[in-house]
Amino acid sequence: MILPAILIGLVAAIGVLGDQMGSLYINRPIVLAPLVGLILGHVEESIVIGASLELFFMGAVSVGAYIPPDTIVGGVLATAFALSTGKGIETAVTLAMPIALVSQAIGNFCNVFNSIILRWTDRYAEDGNYKGVVFTHWLIGLITVVRRFLLVFFAFYLGSEAVGNMINAIPEFVTNGMAAAAGLLPALGFAMLMRMTINKQNIPYYFLGFVLAAYMGVPVLGVAILGVILVLVKFNFLDKNVAVAAEAVQQEVPEDDDF
Amino acid sequence: MTTSNITKKDLTKMAFNQGSLGMEFSWNYERQMHIAFAMMVNNNLKKIYANDPEGYKEALKRHVEFFNITPQLAPFVGGVVTSMEEMKARGEVEDEAISSIKTALMGPLSGIGDSIFVGCLRVIAVGIGISLAQAGNLMGPVLYFLLYNIPCFIIRYFGAHFGYNIGFNYLKKMQENGLMDKLLAAASILGVMVIGCMSKDMVWTTLNIELSHVGETVTTLQSILDGIMPGLIGLGGTWAYFFLLKKKVNPVLLIFGTMIIGVIGAYFGILAG
Repeated sequence: MILPAILIGLVAAIGVLGDQMGSLYINRPIVLAPLVGLILGHVEESIVIGASLELFFMGAVSVGAYIPPDTIVGGVLATAFALSTGKGIETAVTLAMPIALVSQAIGNFCNVFNSIILRWTDRYAEDGNYKGVVFTHWLIGLITVVRRFLLVFFAFYLGSEAVGNMINAIPEFVTNGMAAAAGLLPALGFAMLMRMTINKQNIPYYFLGFVLAAYMGVPVLGVAILGVILVLVKFNFLDKNVAVAAEAVQQEVPEDDDF
Repeated sequence: MTTSNITKKDLTKMAFNQGSLGMEFSWNYERQMHIAFAMMVNNNLKKIYANDPEGYKEALKRHVEFFNITPQLAPFVGGVVTSMEEMKARGEVEDEAISSIKTALMGPLSGIGDSIFVGCLRVIAVGIGISLAQAGNLMGPVLYFLLYNIPCFIIRYFGAHFGYNIGFNYLKKMQENGLMDKLLAAASILGVMVIGCMSKDMVWTTLNIELSHVGETVTTLQSILDGIMPGLIGLGGTWAYFFLLKKKVNPVLLIFGTMIIGVIGAYFGILAG
């Protein structure tokens, strides 16, 4: 039991480390759940759970001032418990959000240390001590890595049985209700994304995408390809004049030396 | 004091060094991506101020000030800053100019970056990824990862070189000739189209209210809704949330509200997942 717990903790750590490898967006259930499945031996099921949790957390992206729940710990632990108790997707979506919110609260508490570390950063920078600056970068980052690892490790190592009992004690209509809610929550995610991109000019294209799916059964990839074609034609991106104009700007600017 | 000694290789290295790739690793509320930004440009600063230790110290200090941007566009700003630091070393610009250009770039670039990367590219990648993953297909997560990250890394590379060579002026020209607006509009159209598609495909709660029961045929509200327009719940739900969010209702409240509605609905057998 201790080895899987360590490995699952490491999956959470990898999710955080994606931010050091180029903001890979691997801190999402669609990537992390299959890794958990690989450890616990239910790969195919974990991919399906990953898809459900990804939809569940669709709105959990940091846009503006909104700090989203912790999709890493929420996604990893929910998948791990769902697989280890053998209860599947309903259990995963029941557990994911409460866990994610608790982890976010713990994270907020740990962020207090940052204000101390940042004073060090300033002092190092003033002294021209680059190595010191790098040290504070890794310190801040690694605190979040270790925090996630420990949280997932202890929760899975100590909590598996308790969570199993708890899930068995939950009445069926509650898990069914969570499944129903999970079926609806992606809509909240879409709405949050729309807050960012939708405006009066592009509302018709929302409905175009919807109608293509609803009445013609075009899958996401098909809609995306149609969208690219539409945009290329609409904005004349293939028009020679546009390309020439863009190049002209490029060639003209370097001579423009005065800022 | 120094001539232009930043090479193409330096810029490529900057696009992929630990500061550039780790832009969000040391993210903090206070000054956000400031440490990683300083780390991204550090090697170039060292080279530019090779004979001027005081200048280097000042430059390092200058770049641990507040910074925030869509991470994939950070190398572009790094390129602009590198070319300006060279001018500063030659005594052509003041240090305030560097800081103010950096600040001036942050806002607009983050707006563009969020629309293109979070609002469009990630939406497409996640939509395609989920539709495959729902069937248990390993290509789902793999395609999601590649579709999102390959364009991101290409943009990092070109961003660093563009920023250095044509930088701020190019951005200004793009804004003036409308190319920027076109790109933004195009990205947002793509994004909302795919979201429209997903609000049909990926919202699966059903209304199981039984309306009539004639012999073997059961008519539920859901079957009637599907007859009018498939995916009506997804469509209605998305817009209901949209207007609630617009009224500044807290998303966490909406999450819990949905869960409560789900449980009550399931208790009375009205809602099913």
